[in-house]
Amino acid sequence: MNPIHLAGRGLACSLGLSVEQALATLQQGRAHATQVSLPGAMAGDYPFHAIPFSQPDWNERACTLVQRVVAEAGAQHIRNGVLLIATSSFDIGAVERGATRMDYQAFADKVAAWLDWCGPVHVVNTACTSSLNALLFAQALLRSGAATDALVLGIELYNRLTLGGFAALQLLSRTGSRPFGAERDGLVLGEAVAALHLSVREASGWQLLGGASVVDGEQPTGASPVAVCEMYRQALADSGVVTEAIDLVKVQAAGSPGNDAVEAQGLRSTFDSMPPLVSLKATMGHTMGASGAAEIALLTACLEQGAWPGGENAADQELGVTLAAAMPSDVRRFMATILGFGGSHASVVLERT
Amino acid sequence: MTTFAIQGRCLASPPPADWREQLARMLGAKPRRIGNWAELGLYGALSCLADAGEQGLPPGALLLLGSQRGTYMPTGQVLDQMQGDLPMPLTFLQTQPSQLLALLAAQMRWRGQAAFIAGGTPQSLLQLAAAQCGNAGVLLGWVDEMEGGSSLWLRLTPCAEISGSTPQAVSAAAMYAPEITHLQVAGGGVQAG
Repeated sequence: MNPIHLAGRGLACSLGLSVEQALATLQQGRAHATQVSLPGAMAGDYPFHAIPFSQPDWNERACTLVQRVVAEAGAQHIRNGVLLIATSSFDIGAVERGATRMDYQAFADKVAAWLDWCGPVHVVNTACTSSLNALLFAQALLRSGAATDALVLGIELYNRLTLGGFAALQLLSRTGSRPFGAERDGLVLGEAVAALHLSVREASGWQLLGGASVVDGEQPTGASPVAVCEMYRQALADSGVVTEAIDLVKVQAAGSPGNDAVEAQGLRSTFDSMPPLVSLKATMGHTMGASGAAEIALLTACLEQGAWPGGENAADQELGVTLAAAMPSDVRRFMATILGFGGSHASVVLERT
Repeated sequence: MTTFAIQGRCLASPPPADWREQLARMLGAKPRRIGNWAELGLYGALSCLADAGEQGLPPGALLLLGSQRGTYMPTGQVLDQMQGDLPMPLTFLQTQPSQLLALLAAQMRWRGQAAFIAGGTPQSLLQLAAAQCGNAGVLLGWVDEMEGGSSLWLRLTPCAEISGSTPQAVSAAAMYAPEITHLQVAGGGVQAG
């Protein structure tokens, strides 16, 4: 089986409009959230990680960001490959403004046209795990020989529906994201557009070893401990590695009181010796369907450049897990996990080559 | 090339007049507050599994769901509700297509890989299934609630190549036809036999 390389990456998030900008912002300790106001029963200001790029027209803004991150990923030359768009909100922001009508296929066609894409296009929506599921489909297509290159493109941009829905479900924090923190009180959402170019032709510094996705209907808006363990077990087996081979786990840990506890329980059950843990949620917000791709793009760059997204958050001792305060040495393999709506749990393993 | 044997199917386009009653019987109770699209999906999936003689999916199977318009109707309702207020929580949940995956998993007491693919065609969905699924096969659904509604499902397991007949290129609608016993994914296309 040919190795699957992470041949390129691109990122636009609240930290900046490229991986390089995001790293610089992170290293300067300038990550911060803006505020958005919501009406109605949960009225008030909520922190939100917006991409620092304004353009009045939703479609023009999205087009610019998509083209930028795909160019940064160096993926303009694989337009005959498979494009997997990962999103939980499509272009609902444009629908809200009356700039377009809701139409899945028209959304896929629009994004493909922005990129002059010629190959097959699929739109994956599994809520927060969309990008990781798109990565798993990309891996399957490359493993099967159906394609030699694939681009996973996570798109999650500001819209009132998502923010309003999460607020209505009382899932949002009004103060900030505290992953695995003692005073965690909810999620902070964010925007991201992220691209990961996977290839069996082009060697690179990272390989995708494997992964797994597990849906469990026990908790339709959250994670289940059994499914978290099953996800880890399957992801390790698919990757051909054992727990001891994992040097770092990028956890979901979005600051949700319930989900963080479930994830911690799953980690304790899976790892006899806990590897170092890292969360990027306090740094860039929870970027929903784009989060898997966005966090892998940023974390691989962090590991290469020695930047560490450590937080100043008092850990919840009852969880029995804590985030690593400093970058662990010699990270060769890491797991990246996203847990989300629809009882979805997904994790992938990447290895430095 | 991947060849699938069709173990069961549901061709409800449109669904029968009493589909809601049938669904309530299959679930043991009327579904509550999950929305019409999800109900239609549950009806088709459970009917398909019954046709295949299965109570639920085995471990390792894949659940893939596609749609042209998915949750457009509740999304429209939520956008209306948001004129000056927040959406109703349960209506917001109905806007998330992946909720149907969780509902199905819960109903089947199953835990496994499942995904919603927006837009495309049943053939493109089958191509993804061919790349991703293992020996336990796939439950492949295509559900839309517009124009009277449709809930099209196939329970497929991988098998040896089709023997005794030459597979023919097949349209999306023909994939579900009762006379089709096998589907083959090869060279970027879908054929049936």
